[in-house]
Amino acid sequence: MTTLDTLLREKVLLLDGGMGTQIFARKPTMEDYGGAALEGCVDLLTERRPHWIREIHESYFRAGADAVETNTFGANPLVLGDFGLSAKAYDLNVQAASMAKEVARSFDRPRFVIGSVGPGTKLITLGHVSYADLLASYRVQMDGLLEGGADAILIETCQDLGQIKVAVRAAREAMATKRCRIPIWVQATVETTGTLLVGSDISAVLTSVEPLGIDVLGLNCGTGPDEMHAHLQTLSETSPFRISCLPNAGLPENRDGQVVYPLAPEPFVQKVLHAASEFGIAILGGCCGTTPDHIRALVPGVEKLNPPKRTPKLERSAASLYQSVALKQEPAPLIVGERTNANGSKKFRDLLAAEDWDGMIALAKEQQREGAHLLDLCVAYVGRDEVRDADELLNRLITQITLPLMIDSTEFPVIERALQRSPGKCVINSINFEDGEAKAQAILELCKTYGAAVVALTIDERGMAKTREQKLEVARRLHALAVGEYGLNPGDLIIDPLTFTLGSGDEEFRGSAIETLEALRLIKAELPGVMTILGVSNVSFGLNPASRHVLNALMLYHGVKHGLDMAIFNASKVIPVAKIDPEDRRIVEDLLFDRRSEGYDPLKALMARFSSRKAAVADDHRADLPVMERLHRGILDGEKQAILADVDEALKDHDPLKLINEVLLGAMKVVGERFGSGEMQLPFVLESAEAMKAAIKRIEPHLPRESNYQKGRILLATVKGDVHDIGKNLVDIILSNNGFEVKNLGIKQPIEAILKELEAWPADAIGLSGLLVKSTVIMKENLHFMEELGHKVPVILGGAALTRDYVEGDCRRTYSGSVFYAEDAFEGLRHMQALVSGETDVPAAAPAADAAGEIKILRRGSAAVPLTAHGQSSWVRHDAPPPQPPFWGVRELTDAPVDLFDHLDAFALIRNRWGFSQGSQSDEAFTAILRDKAVPQLVRWKERLATDPLFQPRARYGYFPVRAEGDALRVLDPADPTRSLAVLTFPRQASGRRLCIPDFFSTDRTDVLALQLVTLGQGAADHAARLYREDGYGDYFAFHGLATELTEAYAERVHARIRRELDIAAKDLPGRALFAQGYQGSRYSYGYPACPDLEGNGPLLDLLQGGAIGVHLSESHQMDPEYTTSALVAWHPQARYFSV
Amino acid sequence: MVKVHFLLEDLLVEAPAGTSLQRIADAAGADITFGCRTGSCGTCRVRIAEGLAHCNEPGPEERDFLKSLDAPPDQRLACQVTVQGDLAIEYLGL
Repeated sequence: MTTLDTLLREKVLLLDGGMGTQIFARKPTMEDYGGAALEGCVDLLTERRPHWIREIHESYFRAGADAVETNTFGANPLVLGDFGLSAKAYDLNVQAASMAKEVARSFDRPRFVIGSVGPGTKLITLGHVSYADLLASYRVQMDGLLEGGADAILIETCQDLGQIKVAVRAAREAMATKRCRIPIWVQATVETTGTLLVGSDISAVLTSVEPLGIDVLGLNCGTGPDEMHAHLQTLSETSPFRISCLPNAGLPENRDGQVVYPLAPEPFVQKVLHAASEFGIAILGGCCGTTPDHIRALVPGVEKLNPPKRTPKLERSAASLYQSVALKQEPAPLIVGERTNANGSKKFRDLLAAEDWDGMIALAKEQQREGAHLLDLCVAYVGRDEVRDADELLNRLITQITLPLMIDSTEFPVIERALQRSPGKCVINSINFEDGEAKAQAILELCKTYGAAVVALTIDERGMAKTREQKLEVARRLHALAVGEYGLNPGDLIIDPLTFTLGSGDEEFRGSAIETLEALRLIKAELPGVMTILGVSNVSFGLNPASRHVLNALMLYHGVKHGLDMAIFNASKVIPVAKIDPEDRRIVEDLLFDRRSEGYDPLKALMARFSSRKAAVADDHRADLPVMERLHRGILDGEKQAILADVDEALKDHDPLKLINEVLLGAMKVVGERFGSGEMQLPFVLESAEAMKAAIKRIEPHLPRESNYQKGRILLATVKGDVHDIGKNLVDIILSNNGFEVKNLGIKQPIEAILKELEAWPADAIGLSGLLVKSTVIMKENLHFMEELGHKVPVILGGAALTRDYVEGDCRRTYSGSVFYAEDAFEGLRHMQALVSGETDVPAAAPAADAAGEIKILRRGSAAVPLTAHGQSSWVRHDAPPPQPPFWGVRELTDAPVDLFDHLDAFALIRNRWGFSQGSQSDEAFTAILRDKAVPQLVRWKERLATDPLFQPRARYGYFPVRAEGDALRVLDPADPTRSLAVLTFPRQASGRRLCIPDFFSTDRTDVLALQLVTLGQGAADHAARLYREDGYGDYFAFHGLATELTEAYAERVHARIRRELDIAAKDLPGRALFAQGYQGSRYSYGYPACPDLEGNGPLLDLLQGGAIGVHLSESHQMDPEYTTSALVAWHPQARYFSV
Repeated sequence: MVKVHFLLEDLLVEAPAGTSLQRIADAAGADITFGCRTGSCGTCRVRIAEGLAHCNEPGPEERDFLKSLDAPPDQRLACQVTVQGDLAIEYLGL
């Protein structure tokens, strides 16, 4: 009988194409689903419209597919629960599989049915669903598919590493109960970002699922064939499983408001076949946007392919959520960080007792920075609930740390919970035979179920093995059990032959290092493939720190030479052997190899030699550093918690003023330099500022009453008519944490108020900020006003719309005091430092001729387009009739915050708002920062907003009849179009195209003007203000950036709705291009270059009745609350942004 | 000195080699709309009709951005261009 397996040995298997695509082509109605509440429940159509599903299977078989996938993508109790149909899950799977089998049997040659298991709607890695619930849900689905007769289980479209492992387990357990075994296939979905949705790369996926014993690991969905190449190549080179490849028909495009997959059968086939032969793919098919035509077109090419032969090479590895780490490092050894261990680190123990989870994560990150490859994690602490602690810590840790974990516990329930919470492949530490084999067996069972490696100690019923022969004997027994009985890959068995201290001088242990080193050699020789590990620093227990470092380093060195693969070691303490003093080395090696002689004991020699020596500082980790150095590093690393203890210690014997001036401010200076050179990202700078603030707060009570560590004073304000807070607040943060006293007057400050404040609080400079184009004019007016009053106080200007030329030219000429341009907060800081130290003279205003450098206009052509009889630009054509809106007047919308993320420009958020920029970093370093910091931060916010009502998005929008009259728009009453509601006037370009917004509306017939107003609500503004007040700089900055971009996203969402309703959405571009006006028409907001006057917001708010959603106009014509934006929408195809 | 010709309004400007196009456009009042001026909004997209080789190479972020727009190789974001030789520019916007 031909089975799937035999067929796979004969040919490349051809699977079907998209199921959803085919179902939706039939345009299912509410009646088809069985009511409005069930609309979209595609899995239910197996029962309600079985003939559709049959037809689809038939059409794929007829097209030439060897196998089809069942219509069970979401048929599990959790997903069906959203429709109140959990109880149907089993039956729907049975029915779908048996129906597909019936269709398969009606064909003459062997055809197969693959049971499709989708990813569901909840991400276990992010804590949306518990392990037990997800497992139970998948189990129902697997039982049903097996009962219905599926020939294989396909766990597909996987976006979460944790979910894959649960689903595989459910499949295995279902088969064990039913006493059958069919192949388990896994297909991951790698997004265009190069990772799964949760951030895992394909190697992390392979490493994590490899021990689970699956049959196929491939890719489907997410992208077209081209984008899959790099990941297919990785699988081709490393995966021991057959590879499947079911791409979408290219990357989706938006045409006529519909998602369209662009690849037609011909190009699709070409690309897929190319990938198949290039990467040795065994199973081909299609996903979204592929049809029976695509499959039919694949047949001739697939018939020509031979079953692939690959020679993959998989390194034994562990994996975190994000990445895979080979257990064999070049150069050896792999370092296991030992400080996140409540038994080994007092600091960690104290943090655990205080439940300072952030502090524990900071410690974990520190080890990551120091170069550890794995993290040993132990939360065993007498009197505490170890399971709960493991849960709490892992919930936070797994998304924040990129290193795989070594779960260090003796408690079975702790190990199991930790394995359930960790999405990658962990190492369990450890098993032994101290009390016989039962406990080791139970833990090995866990290794098999969850896919983990294990450390095994050479301890048996007799105790710790001390001689090389005993060590080898126990190692053999461990190997026989783990590899022989439990089928672990030898590379996942990590033998620890134990090391004992040489520091005691105890005769029994004098030769113990030799025994351990020789045991390493024997184990590697006799048990091929197994890994070895040592807790190296045990060798020097009891000696002083300086000698310990040297002894540990040499034990590590000789261990590696004898076959040591991994070391539990403090990564920051690795000393290169070449740096060890030759005499030190001779003595230590005499001790290691027990080379005593008459009158010479290397132990005594060592103790004498090191008695007065301090441990080397440079290679030390933080806890052993001098306190000043710790403070310096605490600022650089933004350790806002750890730094407090260091401050307390430093205060004991250092002058508080000196601490601030020399140590802390010195460190902030380095932060500024690193930011300037692009080595440090803004979010990290803010973490440093938070640490600085915390440290200063701690020191302040110790300052002598009269003392003043502050270097100077500055008054800061956002200028009149401008509500933008963030730039000014960043300057406040940077200056006040660099030793300057800042008085932050807030937003919308008229110059009179600023000068009045200056009288009461004399400052060394005034800093003016503003984002609007108009604010640049206000700044110059302010300078003019100050000049008239005879002020001379220096002024620093900053803001998005300013340019250096404008400040150093126009502005300097206006004012006889000094005027500086600050491109960012650190340039502002440099100006302040120069000012108070008197280093710079007042810079002269650039002479007018110089304002534009030597830029000279040679010719200004007469290419200004003529105006029409109506006074409009003749560049604009009025060919097409205006579209018809679906209604006239205004409507209100309420949206869920998470929906706004669909329209979020994540690129702009991460790069511009959050300040992650590549700077001088390598591509790899920057990609790592995006992956480890920026993207998880975005995911976390999204998570949070789903439950925490920080945003209450509301919008009003509407359509008004309108006529253009020269430079104005006359807005008419929808109820009575002869009545005029408002006349909006706009400025016109003086030359060139001579554009003005009304040009995009008709003068001789009634046109349609769309208006929109969106807000995130007062709560969002309040929350931002609270974060700032409470010095949560990093959070404040992140929140503000997110809220600003989500306001934009909301505006885009409503604008997209308007485009759809006006039936002009056909030109919408996919992806990021949309944010760059990739659509027909334009959305103009007051305050921007085409209509810079904010006064226009008044009539706009009146027309939309903004008060109904709590939006009001401030006296400076800006909208309140913050995170509100309004716009006029022009539908005209030539309407684009322009500047007047 | 180099010459930059803004085709849309037939504006011809002279500037020292190495000047940023943004500065030239601002100083001469050319009809190019700048948005963020940091290379991420795309408002100032231009076609370099002549003299593409006289521009600096695009940086990684500009390259990413233009790639996301599927822009042909003769298009640049004006705010990211430094002028090393004569250019003719056509403003496209978004």
